[in-house]
Order: sequence, then C-alpha cells, then structure tokens
Amino acid sequence: MDRRDFIKVAGGTLLAGASCAYAFRFLNDTFGVQAGEGVQLSGRRWGMVIDLTRCRSGCTTCMEACRVENNVGLHGDIRWDNHWIRKVKLKSKHAAGEAEKEVILLCNHCDKPPCAQVCPVQATYKRHDGIVIVDHHRCIGCRYCMIACPYNARQFNFVDTEDWLNKEHPKRSHGVAEACTLCAHRLDVGRIPACVEACCNVGAEALFVGDMNDPESEVSRLIATNAVKRIREDLGTEPKVHYIGL
Amino acid sequence: MPPQASGSSPAGGRGVVTVILILVILTPLAYSIVSRAVAQNVDTAELFLERPDPKHQECVRDTEYMRFHHWELLRSTREEVVRFGIRGEIGLHRCRDCHTSRERFCDRCHQATSLTPDCWGCHYYP
Repeated sequence: MDRRDFIKVAGGTLLAGASCAYAFRFLNDTFGVQAGEGVQLSGRRWGMVIDLTRCRSGCTTCMEACRVENNVGLHGDIRWDNHWIRKVKLKSKHAAGEAEKEVILLCNHCDKPPCAQVCPVQATYKRHDGIVIVDHHRCIGCRYCMIACPYNARQFNFVDTEDWLNKEHPKRSHGVAEACTLCAHRLDVGRIPACVEACCNVGAEALFVGDMNDPESEVSRLIATNAVKRIREDLGTEPKVHYIGL
Repeated sequence: MPPQASGSSPAGGRGVVTVILILVILTPLAYSIVSRAVAQNVDTAELFLERPDPKHQECVRDTEYMRFHHWELLRSTREEVVRFGIRGEIGLHRCRDCHTSRERFCDRCHQATSLTPDCWGCHYYP
C-alpha cells in the first residue's frame, strides 16, 4: 500500500465512523427515553391567602405543623434555627388605631422570583405550577438567594438537623439554602399543605391554598371579594401570598 | 555461521514480543469475562432481597438492570420529582419496602467500589 492509498483508507474509515456516531445520536434521540418526557403541565398556579382577621393571636399551630411535616431544623440557637413560616409583630408608628398586629410570613412564591434569578446553578427555580422551590441536590450553598430575597424567607442550614420527625419526607443536610415549598410534595398528590390543614384543624381557618388560575377556587374567590394586599408589591416580584386585613 | 542459530536471533525475539503483545491484549478481556462469570455466580448464590413486601409483586426493573443502572433510574426519577412534580411509584421509599437494611443493601456494594453517594444525609433509610 502506498502513501496515497493509506491516506484514502484512513480518511474513509474516519468519515464512516464519524457518520455512524452522528447517526447513533439521532437513533438515541428517537428511541431513547428523554428526561422530562411526558411532562404534563397542569396549568395550575398555586397561590395562598392569609386571612389575618381570623388568625389567632399567639397561636403557633401552623408553625409547629410545618416543622413536623418538613423537618425544619430547630436547634435551640437563634443563629441556626430555621423557620419556613413565622409570625412577626408589627408595631404602628402612628399612635392612632391598633398598636400591634401579628403577621404570618413565609416564602411568597413570587411570579418573578429574585432568588431564582440570582441562583448561579439553577438550583432555585419556579416550577410550572408557580411554586418556587430549591433543588437541594444542586444547591451549592452560596446564599445569593438569601441576599436577593426581599422577604427574608430564605433560610440556610448551618448545621445538620438532628430531629427527624417525618421520616417520609427528606430533611436537609448542612450547607444548603431552603424555604417554604408550599408543601409541594403534598400538593402533587392532592393534599393541602400542612399549615393549612393544621389551621383548619384548630378551627381558625385563616390560611387558604388553591389554584389561582381556577376562577372557581376558594383562593380566587377570596382574592376577588376581599381587599387583598401583598407585601412589597412595589418591588415587582409579583408575590402570590395574599393578605386579608393587613 | 548463520545468525538464526543463536538464541538472541531477530526471529526468536520477534516471537517472544508477539506472545507478550497478545498476552497484554488478551489479559483485560479474559479478566472481564472471568470476573463477570464470578459475579453471576454470586448473583445466583445470594439475593439481596430480604423481605418481599406483599404490596409489590416484583422490582420496578429486572435485577440485572437494577444492579448496574439503579443510579440512572433514581437520578431520572429525582429530576422528574423535583423539577416537574411527577411523583410516581419509583423512589427510595419503594426500595425501602423490600430491602430493609441500608447496610446490607446499599453499603455493601458501595463500600466495595468505594462510592459514597450522600443520599442518607437527607433521605431516610433504616
């Protein structure tokens, strides 16, 4: 074989191999199972309404229920404790009117979530049904989202959680950020979030979660018939937690 | 005197080199075939299933697939659950029903292959 023939054969083999590899890629695309295949967008858009006029002063049922359901860490140290849902007292600067008000705060599941925009690894993102959620497998613990969130809803796991109250649900190891998931694991199987359930169980019925795209839902009805407010609407984050009587 | 008679002749040297080359090529092949055979013997000797759960007739995939590709299955399932909210049958909770011990089910192979997946920092497995 002379030099010319060798180059011909070698070039032909290389070309044939490359085209085979190229063709196999398409075969895999056609017959292989793709990630996210068969995803059916539900068309839902979960939202929450908090009726502060019904919320009982000093009641912590929703917070306890959340802690039990989602294994939110409580270490007895104010620096490391995590709260997915919490209650704050607002004091009016003006003496007139009511002096103090208790407000429930949690992740607002914004339509334009700043936490998801700043996440460098796309660990925080908005699901197709509007829930803003953290993929803890991917989170690198940079805490940008905590800085970005205007509602202080983001928490960081500085230490591992010792208690494991709900073993059916995973806890978080240290070094990841977390926030309220609106109990996505319960909504996905058709149950209501733990805080809403607990609030109904004690008879207060101050919390409502439902589909905001469905005009027949309780949440849509409440938003339509009440003077609802959202926190820091001026920021343009389009939060989906609505307050009655704020 | 012809050079072929000597022990260090070019022809004899070439033969030795050829034999060594063939050995070098064939050893990994033979190793993989033998180790696979041994592994299959181990399969038939002891199964990992400790407590068949009446809820489940059989595993979600066949044993051979699960042994080598369970991580792919779990990873794709994870993406579906976390990203798209599709909560199907497959999951660690389902493994847990039949394979009751993490030490005997997961850790045994992972230790042998020195793999440390960090599932159990967050997910429960007894």
